Amino acid sequence: MSTESLALPATTGTAPPERRLAGDLAIWVFICAELLAFAVFFVAYGVARARHVDMFNTGQLTLDRNAGALNTVLLITGSWFVVQAVARLRGGDPGGSAGRLLLALACGGGFLVVKVFEYKAKFALGISLSTDTFYMFYISLTFFHLMHVLLGMVILALLWNSLRRGPGPTTLSSLESGAAYWHMVDLVWIILFPLVYVMR
Amino acid sequence: MSGAFTKSMARNIFYGGTVFFFLLFLALSFDTHQALPKRDHRAEITPQIAHGKKLVEVNNCIGCHTLMGEGAYFAPELGNAIARLGGREGIKGFIKSRPAEGIPGRRSMPQFNFSDDDLEAIAAYLEHVNKIDDANWPPNIQG
Amino acid sequence: MPFQSQGVAKYYFMAAIALFAGQILFGLIMGLQYVWGDFLFPAIPFNVARMVHTNLLIVWLLFGFMGGAYYLIPEESETELYSTKLAMLLFWVFLIAGALTIVGYLAVPYATLAKYTGNDLLETMGREFLEQPLITKVGIVIVALGFLFNITMTVLKGRKTAISTVLLLGLWGLAVFFLFSFYNPVNVVEDKFFWWWTVHLWVEGVWELILGALLAFVLIKVTGVDREVIEKWLYVIITLTLVTGVIGTGHHYFWIGTPEYWQWWGSIFSALEPIPFFAMTVFAFNMVNRRRREHPNRAATLWALGTGVMAFLGAGVWGFLHTLAPVNYYTHGTQITAAHGHMAFYGAYAMVVLCMISYAMPIMRGRAANSNKAQVLEMWSFWLMTIAMVFITLFLTAAGILQVWLQRVSDTPLPFMVVQDKISLFYWMREWTGVVFLIGLVLYILSFFVKGEEQAKAA
Repeated sequence: MSTESLALPATTGTAPPERRLAGDLAIWVFICAELLAFAVFFVAYGVARARHVDMFNTGQLTLDRNAGALNTVLLITGSWFVVQAVARLRGGDPGGSAGRLLLALACGGGFLVVKVFEYKAKFALGISLSTDTFYMFYISLTFFHLMHVLLGMVILALLWNSLRRGPGPTTLSSLESGAAYWHMVDLVWIILFPLVYVMR
Repeated sequence: MSGAFTKSMARNIFYGGTVFFFLLFLALSFDTHQALPKRDHRAEITPQIAHGKKLVEVNNCIGCHTLMGEGAYFAPELGNAIARLGGREGIKGFIKSRPAEGIPGRRSMPQFNFSDDDLEAIAAYLEHVNKIDDANWPPNIQG
Repeated sequence: MPFQSQGVAKYYFMAAIALFAGQILFGLIMGLQYVWGDFLFPAIPFNVARMVHTNLLIVWLLFGFMGGAYYLIPEESETELYSTKLAMLLFWVFLIAGALTIVGYLAVPYATLAKYTGNDLLETMGREFLEQPLITKVGIVIVALGFLFNITMTVLKGRKTAISTVLLLGLWGLAVFFLFSFYNPVNVVEDKFFWWWTVHLWVEGVWELILGALLAFVLIKVTGVDREVIEKWLYVIITLTLVTGVIGTGHHYFWIGTPEYWQWWGSIFSALEPIPFFAMTVFAFNMVNRRRREHPNRAATLWALGTGVMAFLGAGVWGFLHTLAPVNYYTHGTQITAAHGHMAFYGAYAMVVLCMISYAMPIMRGRAANSNKAQVLEMWSFWLMTIAMVFITLFLTAAGILQVWLQRVSDTPLPFMVVQDKISLFYWMREWTGVVFLIGLVLYILSFFVKGEEQAKAA
């Protein structure tokens, strides 16, 4: 990816103008790195599961699938609001855009609340990272993802703040970057949820 | 493909990403500290073991040896030395019997002239280290 | 040289090269002790030689970083150094403290040194790389604080660039994480846990910020590529470095009594650690290919490209080779570790300091670049040292693979010392390659004294 993008400015003039990358290239490098980290984590999960199928199947049954499903709905809804926020800003309506970001933030907040209750129930049973390999992966993956939801929310909140104070020339690019990041968080959950909670 | 690539965005991601991963590292470290007492047998650390650790440090043992794999690679692993040399007496006997002028042509441990109490402390410390749950490392008795 | 006060860097660079020579000398002594066990015994036992070897490395790299910063910061900030006097004072303090410490290592038994330097007050000695007596450690902190004060004040009164910000962050991080060297709990697992907060978070964390900043500075100067382009890639690369490197600390938490989830976390994140090094190499080559000027100092360009490649090979590839927990279970604490350590330190840190010296030294001596003759000699030394280091790494890797096999994997594992005898051929080859490295270093030092026709005067 680096080679191609390094050559960018030289080829800008000849590239067809409609093929525009939404948001900033820097966020895409970061998103690729994050996706790679998650991908390696998922592969590791697959390897560990293949070695302890019974442990993973037993452990999976103890997970709260309803909470996971609810969180999936919350994140997808949040992503939808973020899409709306970008569309509104493109359409010249920063106020409406900021409002949609608040709704997306509310979805993220809902995700956190559900997650806290889910963790509380697990920790009450004395489950920790050192319990066994399955719970190690369950807690590691969901906690790593949860921190991404938090980071995504911080980004959305900052974007909301800048929209509220009045958009500048770079606001759209920033919003697109933040939206791309939020969709990444969403995408990872859509893989994580079936992988850890459902697939047998 | 075209699009923006700005220094300010790259900078913000650097700061955000760094803080993020450092917080994650702190969270894992916190969990480690909750889990450690079960693995490191800290309750069994006596003043004698503490003295042994100090002796191992002030004589720079890891300048030649490894301890749980960390140190220099010039001399054998110390973490399981107590098991390899046959208990405390084996350790003490080995350290005591090193010739002061070395062994011609071969690597040799210096003669440190330890007192009996010091030798006992070193042996107690190595016995303690050997008990630490280090995920079954080293792979075998040879270290 | 645009600013008079940049000249203090010259002293730091000269001290760095002198200590570098000392490091290599002791490296050769140790290499010989590997195959000729009683060489210099009991006058200089192996542990003392090793302490001198590794501590000299750390100290000369610190001299290099500080010299680099003193040269870079005024130019980036477009202002004179806050205090040239303080920089010179700290130079002598650090040099004398460093020299006394080395003399202490060599002159008296380590336990005696510990007793007379206050180790009983606060036990910090006798841990790998942090063997310095308490007073030296305190001295390092004082020098570091004075140095940071000096360059931070310089940045604050002048122009703030991404390069100077990243360099400052790296240097402040270096000082902050060094503080963990004062924490030595009696519980050996905790001791080792926090020991890595200095060691790993230095070399696979904040030092890489310093590396990136120094490299970016030299690239801007020798290629003439737009600062904006170089600086944004600098940010992207160091982001990748810290994203992978901080959790990557976990690859040291496999077998020291820490919980076993580190085997997963450490493996996963450190498996990604080669990426930023690869990005740095691609970055360096791209910038040089897109250069807008032909800088007369070709030697500096060579070092800049070399540090990218060798850091990627040494830290990236050789690090990855043994970083996955199932592999590391067998390779931990063997010659494989030594192989990786040698090439990584040379590629990432020794070479970036030599790159900075190569660029700045001619300018401080009143010319844009050295004469062609001097540069050719310097490039010879580059190739000799670099190729020698590649072979040292290969021989140690071969020794390590055999060691792992004979001592740990085979059905009838052999004792450590028996295995050492069996692999001594590779230690001999390593030692001779080390002599080639020394020859490279001698040529490097000679290149400073080669005259020849003068190149273009400095601007």
